[in-house]
Amino acid sequence: MAGRGGAQWPNGAAQGKICQFKLVLLGESAVGKSSLVLRFVKGQFHEYQESTIGAAFLTQTVCLDDTTVKFEIWDTAGQERYHSLAPMYYRGAQAAIVVYDITNQDTFGRAKTWVKELQRQASPNIVIALAGNKADLANKRMVEYDEAQAYAEENSLLFMETSAKTAMNVNDIFLAIAKKLPKSEQGQASQPRQRGVDLNEQNQSSSGGCCKS
Amino acid sequence: MLGSGELGVTTFFSSSIPNDKCGANGLPLTPNSIKVLGQFQQLITLRHPNLCRYVDMIKCKHERVIVVFEHHRKNLAQLEPHVKTDSKLLQVFADVLGGLFYLHGEGLVHSYLGPSTILLTEEGVCKLTHHGVYAMTGCGAHVTFPVGQVKYSAPEIFCKLPGCESRNGSKVDTWSLGITMLEASLGITLWASLSVKQIIQRILSFLTIDVPVIDLIIRDHKCPEKLEKMSSSLQHLITRCLNVNPKQRPTAEELLEEACLQPYRKVHEIRGLNGCCMFSTGLRCQNLELSDFSQVEDEELEPLRELDIDQVYYLWQLAGGDIIRTLDNAGKIKSRPPITNLYSFVCDDGESFGAERDSSVLFDDHILVLSLDQLKQRLSNLDETAYYPLLEEENDESNGVGGNGSSNIELNETATLPLVIKEKDIEYQFHRILLYKRLLDGYPYKRAQIWKEARVDIPPLVRPMVWAALLEIEGDVYGRYIAIDKDSPTPTDRQIEVDIPRCHQYDDLLSSPMGHHKLKRVLKAWVMSHPELVYWQGLDSLAAPFLKLNFNQEALAFACLDAFIPKYLNMFFLKDNSLVIQEYLAVFRNLIAFHDPALSNHLEEIGFIPDLYAIPWFLTMFAHVFPLQKIFHLWDTMLLGNSSLPLCIGVAILHQLRDTLLSFGFNECILLFSDMPEIDIEKCVQDSIRIFCSTPRSATFRQYAKQSKSETSNKPWTSYYSTDPNTIKSALDSEPIPLEELKANRCSRISAADLIELGELAGPVGTKSPTKKTKNSRPKILIIDIRSPEEYQRGTVPGSVNIPHTTSFSVEGTLNPTPQVNTLNAHRLQVKVIIGSQGNTSLNFGNKLVALGYSKVCVLHRGIEALRPTGLLVVPPIEAHT
Repeated sequence: MAGRGGAQWPNGAAQGKICQFKLVLLGESAVGKSSLVLRFVKGQFHEYQESTIGAAFLTQTVCLDDTTVKFEIWDTAGQERYHSLAPMYYRGAQAAIVVYDITNQDTFGRAKTWVKELQRQASPNIVIALAGNKADLANKRMVEYDEAQAYAEENSLLFMETSAKTAMNVNDIFLAIAKKLPKSEQGQASQPRQRGVDLNEQNQSSSGGCCKS
Repeated sequence: MLGSGELGVTTFFSSSIPNDKCGANGLPLTPNSIKVLGQFQQLITLRHPNLCRYVDMIKCKHERVIVVFEHHRKNLAQLEPHVKTDSKLLQVFADVLGGLFYLHGEGLVHSYLGPSTILLTEEGVCKLTHHGVYAMTGCGAHVTFPVGQVKYSAPEIFCKLPGCESRNGSKVDTWSLGITMLEASLGITLWASLSVKQIIQRILSFLTIDVPVIDLIIRDHKCPEKLEKMSSSLQHLITRCLNVNPKQRPTAEELLEEACLQPYRKVHEIRGLNGCCMFSTGLRCQNLELSDFSQVEDEELEPLRELDIDQVYYLWQLAGGDIIRTLDNAGKIKSRPPITNLYSFVCDDGESFGAERDSSVLFDDHILVLSLDQLKQRLSNLDETAYYPLLEEENDESNGVGGNGSSNIELNETATLPLVIKEKDIEYQFHRILLYKRLLDGYPYKRAQIWKEARVDIPPLVRPMVWAALLEIEGDVYGRYIAIDKDSPTPTDRQIEVDIPRCHQYDDLLSSPMGHHKLKRVLKAWVMSHPELVYWQGLDSLAAPFLKLNFNQEALAFACLDAFIPKYLNMFFLKDNSLVIQEYLAVFRNLIAFHDPALSNHLEEIGFIPDLYAIPWFLTMFAHVFPLQKIFHLWDTMLLGNSSLPLCIGVAILHQLRDTLLSFGFNECILLFSDMPEIDIEKCVQDSIRIFCSTPRSATFRQYAKQSKSETSNKPWTSYYSTDPNTIKSALDSEPIPLEELKANRCSRISAADLIELGELAGPVGTKSPTKKTKNSRPKILIIDIRSPEEYQRGTVPGSVNIPHTTSFSVEGTLNPTPQVNTLNAHRLQVKVIIGSQGNTSLNFGNKLVALGYSKVCVLHRGIEALRPTGLLVVPPIEAHT
């Protein structure tokens, strides 16, 4: 199914309610964050996906029963150095996908650190999913499925092994997140848009980590 | 210099990789042809009078590669018997050893030496060819054929000798030379009737029989009388070469010390490859000998042959030369339908029968000569003087495109054509590359003229050196690069290693293992040499264009990167760079509003702010968002500009997508920039220059930009857009503005100094300000004094109009119609400078004008107070408006 398009778009006028969520992707460099987003949003895959600088922003809409869920996706740079900027991106996010590479144990360790940071710093109700990407390289696996699954259960995370290359579980993980998100009135898109990043915010925020270190 | 040489080509297949394999990182394996291409590049740098020069490699379909190199039609096998005197043969010996000595010194082994690969020039000099096949194929690893000629191969190639570690050390060449010279001296073909298998057996038998090899061979061919006729020096040399024990066999260097060769040795001054001398610290003209022009008449070469071989090849291609077609016509590209390569029968155990070996996978060492006729014909109407452009002419300065003679007007016309046409125009390129080569030879003294020519265009052939010149690189770049530790592990290594395989990988060179290796070294060198700065993702993209251009000169690639970053990306690579980037983006945002308020208003309204899309643009100076070819053309111009020009390029990109952006909402805009849409770079470049020239210098002032030295040194002011806004000279100049204030406002600022200059308030002075370019006498600016009429009457800037901020706006936020507002509306295209008292009123006024769609609005920094000390304020004439 590698050539399949992105997730289903709302067909025609959606009758149900429209919910908008901010979702952030975190994880070590080169684990496939951008590839997952590209597969989900455009149905494409590039072997030599370029590195992300700063952060990239994309949106995609999925239909869930009578609700249209619109994801505002923040795809962050994986380099450790950009870590200081991460709080700007996950602040206010309702969902996060923490990605690791199943062929690299270190990236799993890094994913755990991200989960910890999110649990400590992000909004308390944030839905976190753990994605073990590059599942098509199962013969080079260094992180066991069971190990990651156990960790995810312990921390009540959604968990799937994905492959941006073959499209395996890519739409599924976004849909699973959409299902788990509260679709109450507050989640709706009507609130005034606080687009992008208020770079002033760092000065007031007590978490303060953003541009120091 | 091409001299009596020709352009030769040969082609072969590299072995293909099964396409179901992938590497440890999950990426597809690098095709062997790409590996070969990467390894080939260093061969281009080899320069020795006894080696044919390598010029280019082309990668084709199906793992085929084509090699282009210098060629001479005659080889040793074709040397007539009557000229094979002892002295001639000793001369050959000395020449070949000279070439081998140089080659081995470069860490390379010929491994394909034989009479057919020893060429003779018309002047009788020996030049080796095919000396790079072994190196470019990764010691034969990336091809299916063996690299070597069986008859001339040393015994250790066929079997591992005890105590000898490397089978293919440089001494295999000594052996090959021995056999070759023996054959040439005896005047017979060795083992003519034996099969390949028998020849190998024969060579191996030398190992077991304790008799000198030369005697065994003579016995084989029953020609002792011929040996007797051979001079003792030759016999001695050949015997030394044909030592079966590689350990005892002499090296090329040792053989060169032989007494009998001394009269034939030539001391060559090995000049670096083109341009190396540009950065030499030695005295360039120390050994310069001017040839005696009274004697050249007899053997005058065609002027074309005096060009460098890479120039000839470049022009040959522009003259319509097509190597693939040439090879195809010569029947050199044989391809068989794949089905004919199938086996007829395969057993259970996998044994197969019936497939013929495809002879096209073997190495065909035959060299095809590229005809220069078409090129000569295309250049035939050029005057010979065109080959020697004069740099200093009596009535110089005026002609934009250098060159002389009648074609000048035509050239100037061509110079205005689109770049794609110019780059394909052979005559134009001919003049340009010759002119540039001369100018570059005169670097740094000719810097001003290089700068001037670069404003016209930069031919691809000379781009690497011209860029280096524009970046003002001087001195011992090689020594400096070598001194940097590029090998010790650092914490950044992992990041660099995961980024490089994703950086411009559509480019064959950069995707080759050699390309990865070199990029890594350049990046590590940069990180090592700047302890105060760090590697941010994106630095790889930034380094890639320089490496692509200077693939064989890592040191120069590094030097260019190192000069580029402080010029355009000062402090961007600090560990904490957020203030730097935010200031840059804030200035960019204001610049968009300055030039295109309608677009700016739209983007602000939908929340599509530069922070969301422009960080990769500026952090990599667009190297992350455009393919290399576009970056080259963009940077050709950008390098001529100052550190504010990239901001204008950013505005030019938005300008090109203006209609699309205006019709798009937030999501579509985001999607649009997630994959940079097709941009016409030439238009973008023209737009950005125009934008730059209509922006007051101080409007792009940034406190984190590099403070340029106040004295302008010897820098040429031929480029009007090279004056940096960051030259602070007096209190009237710009001063740092707090970030919050920058971000809170949408209109730009202008310094008092800029205002005085633009408004010609201090009388007409020789100014370099970009906005003064046109000879139009109309004022370029409209000065709006927004203070109250009373204050205005007490003293204002000459020529200003008074639009008091307190009474001018209606409740709806529009401007109340007054004669002054009509004046404002009549000056839509002019720069509008708002002058108020200190405080935020002017900025608010400016922001309102921007929101109303007025373009080119800026506010005088520090207001009227800034002008008081200048004594320029006057009492305005009483206007009769009632």
